[in-house]
Amino acid sequence: MATTAPKAGAFPSPYEIEPPAGCEGWEEMYPYYALFDERRREIDENRFWFWNSMHFPMPMPAFDVICIDSPYQAVGAWQNRVFAVPPAMGIDYRCLNGYIYISGNPVTDPAKIAERAEFFQKRAGHYFQNWSELYGKWRAKMEALIRELGELRVPDLPEYEPDEVAFGDDRNTAFYEVLDAYPRALRLGDLMWQHHFEFLLLGYGAYGTFVEFCKGHLPDIPDQHIAQMVAGIDVLLFRPDAELRRLARLAIETGVDTAFQQDRSPDEINAELAQSDAGKHWLEELEKVKDPWFNMATGDGLYHYYRSWLDDPSIPYASLIGHISALGAGEQIDRPTEEIRRERERLATEYGALLDEGSRTSFNDLLNLSRTVFPYVEEHKFFCDYWFLTRWWNKIREFGALLARSGFLEGAEDVFQLSRYEVASALDELVLTWSTGGVPLGPKHWPPIVARRKEILERLGEWAPPPAIGVTPDAVTDPMTIMLWGVTTERVQEWARQQDGGSVLNGAAASPGVIEGLARVVRSVDQIGDVRDGEILVCGSTSPAWAPIFSKIKATVTDVGGVMSHAAIVAREYGLPAVVGTGRATAAIRTGQTIRVDGTEGTVTVLGARES
Amino acid sequence: MPDTAAGAEYIRPLRRLSRGDEPRFGGKSANLGELLAADIPVPPGFAISTVAFHAFVAEAGLEGRIDGALARVTAGDLEAIANASHAISEAMRFAPVPDVVRIEVEQHYAQIGHAAGVDSPPVAVRSSAIGEDSADATFAGQQETYLWVRGVQHVCDAVRDCWVSLYSPPAISYRARLGRLEGPPAMGVTVQLMVDAEVSGVMFTCNPVSGDPSMVAVNASWGLGLAVVGGEVTPDDFLVSKVTGEVVREHVHSKHVEYAPDPTGGGAVRVAVPPERSERACLDLAALARLVEVGKRVERHFGSHQDVEWAIARDAEALFVVQARPVTGLAKKAEKLKPASAMSLIMGTFGAGPRND
Repeated sequence: MATTAPKAGAFPSPYEIEPPAGCEGWEEMYPYYALFDERRREIDENRFWFWNSMHFPMPMPAFDVICIDSPYQAVGAWQNRVFAVPPAMGIDYRCLNGYIYISGNPVTDPAKIAERAEFFQKRAGHYFQNWSELYGKWRAKMEALIRELGELRVPDLPEYEPDEVAFGDDRNTAFYEVLDAYPRALRLGDLMWQHHFEFLLLGYGAYGTFVEFCKGHLPDIPDQHIAQMVAGIDVLLFRPDAELRRLARLAIETGVDTAFQQDRSPDEINAELAQSDAGKHWLEELEKVKDPWFNMATGDGLYHYYRSWLDDPSIPYASLIGHISALGAGEQIDRPTEEIRRERERLATEYGALLDEGSRTSFNDLLNLSRTVFPYVEEHKFFCDYWFLTRWWNKIREFGALLARSGFLEGAEDVFQLSRYEVASALDELVLTWSTGGVPLGPKHWPPIVARRKEILERLGEWAPPPAIGVTPDAVTDPMTIMLWGVTTERVQEWARQQDGGSVLNGAAASPGVIEGLARVVRSVDQIGDVRDGEILVCGSTSPAWAPIFSKIKATVTDVGGVMSHAAIVAREYGLPAVVGTGRATAAIRTGQTIRVDGTEGTVTVLGARES
Repeated sequence: MPDTAAGAEYIRPLRRLSRGDEPRFGGKSANLGELLAADIPVPPGFAISTVAFHAFVAEAGLEGRIDGALARVTAGDLEAIANASHAISEAMRFAPVPDVVRIEVEQHYAQIGHAAGVDSPPVAVRSSAIGEDSADATFAGQQETYLWVRGVQHVCDAVRDCWVSLYSPPAISYRARLGRLEGPPAMGVTVQLMVDAEVSGVMFTCNPVSGDPSMVAVNASWGLGLAVVGGEVTPDDFLVSKVTGEVVREHVHSKHVEYAPDPTGGGAVRVAVPPERSERACLDLAALARLVEVGKRVERHFGSHQDVEWAIARDAEALFVVQARPVTGLAKKAEKLKPASAMSLIMGTFGAGPRND
C-alpha cells in the first residue's frame, strides 16, 4: 500500500483478532501463505489491509480460494510484469476468519518508477492505439477457451476399460485421464483469469480517467449521466434479455403465452408447451438461443454458488412471465435504443459546451476513448465471469460427482469444501484404489472434514469483518486501489472515524478544505473581540457586521444557514473551510475544544475529548 | 444620457442603463438595466447616481468632518473604526437630501406608481456599489436593503441611509485594509418596485461550493428575502442540473419565520410560519424549472456565472429577478485543473504522467 507516514491506532491489528466461537482451526481451509503468520508479523502488522468486500463478501469455501489466487496472479502479472504500472506492483491478500483482506505493493524508488513509466507508456499506448483490433482477437481467444473447456472430458472409472484401450492406438487408461483432466481444468481457469486481466486495468483506467475528469470539472454531475454518455447501445450484456423479449413476443404470436403462469415452475411450463406443435416450436427456438445467451450467472460474484440460467432457469422464466404480462397489458418492453442514442449524444454535447475550449478537447478525447474501451469493460463479465466461470464451476462439480460416486464425498457439491490440493489428493487416492482394487480411506477421511468446514463457514458468515486492519495510512496513493475499489484517503479516514466513535456534526459543505484547530464559540456579534488569531469560529450565523473577524479565523461553523449564507460566501472569499447549518454547533462545541472542520464533506468532528 | 448643460445627472430609469453606466450608477443598477434589455423580468425602477451622493456631501458641508473623523483610523483598530463610523453617521443622518435630487426622486417615484396603478407604490431601496467594491461588497457590509418603503419622504430617508452605510464599521474596516480611506467613496442607489413575494431567494448559475458549471444552486424561503439574508432561517436548498433539469440534491429545512409587508404602512414585519408550511418545500418542480430557465438566460446574457436574487409574486406567481451579479470566489478552484491532453491524463491515472502532483 502506498502510504506516507503510517500511524497505528484506528484499526485493529490482524494479530489481535480472535476467531469467532466454534471456528477454531478455520486456518486449515486456506493455504499457508494466505494467513497472517507470526513469522512475518512485523511486516504484515505494519501494512494497511482492507476487506475486499466487493469481490469476497462471504467467507471463502476452501476450493473457491482458487478464485483469489488466480486473479491476483493474473492481475499482478499484467500490472507489474507486463505494463509495469509505475507506482504499483500487484496486490497481496490475506485471509482472516475466512474473509479476504488486500493490500497493494507500492513502488517507492523514484528511479524505478521512472523506469517503469517508460515500459508503461509504450505498452499501454500500444493497447490504447490498437484497442479494437486487439479486443477482437481477445474475443476469439475467449470463445476458443470456452470451447476447450466444453470439450474437456471428466472420465468415469469403469469396471473394465473398453476395447479401444486394449486394441486402439494412443489410448489412455482412465487413471491417467482423470489425473490429466483435473490439472487441465485448473489451468484453463488460470488462462481465463489471464485473459480477464489483459484489458481490465487499461479499460477501467481510461474510463476512470474520464469519470475523474468529469468530476473534476463538473463535480456534481450524477454518475448516471457519465455512464449514459459512455455506455454502449448494442452491448452484448443486453442480448440475453433481448432474446427473452423476443421469445415473449413469439409466445404471444403463436398463442402459447397462457403456459407462462406466475405460479408455475419452468418444468411445468415446459411440460405444457411440449403438448402442442406451437409449444414445441417455441421450445426449439428457446434451444437455439440458450447457447450462448443463457450463460448468464444468477449472481454477480466469484463464488461457486452462482449458477447460470442454464442450471437454474427460474430467473429467465420469471423474466419471460414478466415480459409476457407486460406485453399483454400493452406496454412497450423494448429498449428504446434510438432514444438512448440521442440522449447520449445530447448529454455529451451539452456537458462539453459547459467547458472551456482546452478542457472540451480533453473531454471529447477521453469520452471517445472511453467509448472504445467500454465494450471490453462491459463484455468481459459475460465472457469471463458468467459464461466461462459458471461452466468451469460445473466442470469442477463433475470431479465432485466422480468422488461422490465412490463415497469420498456425500454429494458433488461438497467438492468445494476441499482445497484444490486436497481434491488432487483425493483424486489420487481414488484412481489408485480404482486401479489396485484396494479399499480407499477417502470415504472415511473426507466427509467429516467437509461437515466440519460447512459448520465453520456458517459461523464465520455471522462474523462482522472490520473494513480495514493494520495501520491507518495518511493517504491512499495506490492508483489500483483507488481505481478498482474506490478506496480513497477520504474513505479510509471515514472508516477510521467510525472506529474511534468521535462526535460528528453534519451540515452543509459550504467552503471546501479540511482543518483542525481550537474552537471559539461566539454567541453574538459583540463577543467577536474575544476571537484570537487562528481559532475556528463557531456561531449561530454571521452578517456583514462580522466581516472583520474573517481575517483572523481559519475556519467557521454555524448553526443556521445554507451554502449561500453570509458565512459561506465570506469563507469562500477568504479560502477558509466552512460547514454551515449544523443545527447544534454552538450547543455541542465548547470554546477551547479541538475540532476538525471538513468543508468538503460538511462534517465537524469534536476531537477535544481525546486531546485536551 | 451624459451630464447635460442643465447640470449633473442624478437619476435615470433602470431600463435606460447598460453595463457602461456602472461607474456612475453602480453595478447593481447597471446590471438591472442589462437584464431589462435582455427581456428578463425585472421590477421597474430607477437608479440614483454617485453624483447625487457627492451633491449631498457637498451641500451639507460634510467633507471636512468626514476627513477629520477618518484621520485617526488604522486597519485593525476596531475601536477607532467604531468611533469614526459613529461620528460620520450621526452627521450624515441630520443632513438633508438636496432639493435637486429630491425633486427628481419625486418625479421618478411617481412614474413607478403611475405604471403600477398605485399612489404610493412600495419600493425596495438598495445600495449599488461601484467598481471593485461591488465584487467585495458582500463582506464589506455595503449591502443595505430597505424593503417595502412607501412615500417620497421615506424613499429619500432610505436613500440617505444607504449613503450612511458607506461609513459603517465593516465598510471603513474594509477600505482601511485596502488602504483606500482617502478621498470620498462612491455609491449608487437602486429604487425598484417591490414584489410582494410569496417565495424568494438566491440562485447561483453554478454550484458555488464545488464550482460545477452544469448546476444551478437555489436557496429559497417563504416571504421577502430578509429571513435568509439575516441568518434567521436555513433556506431550502436545491441543486438542479442545467443539462437535464433533474433536481440532483434537495434539502428542505424548517423555515419558521418569514417577512411580509407591514399591513399598517411601510416596512416589513417578521411573521411566524405555521408548522405545516414551514416544513414544506417552498418551490415545486415547475417553479424550479422556471427559475433554472431564467438563470440560464441571465448567465448567457452576461457570459459568466451569475448570483441572481429572485422573487415569486404572491398573487400572479410571476417570477422576477431583483438583482444579478457575477459569482466571485471560484477562480481558486479553477486554477487547480490545469489543461492536459487525454492521454497524459490517463497516464496520470496510472502514475505514469509527468509528475502528477
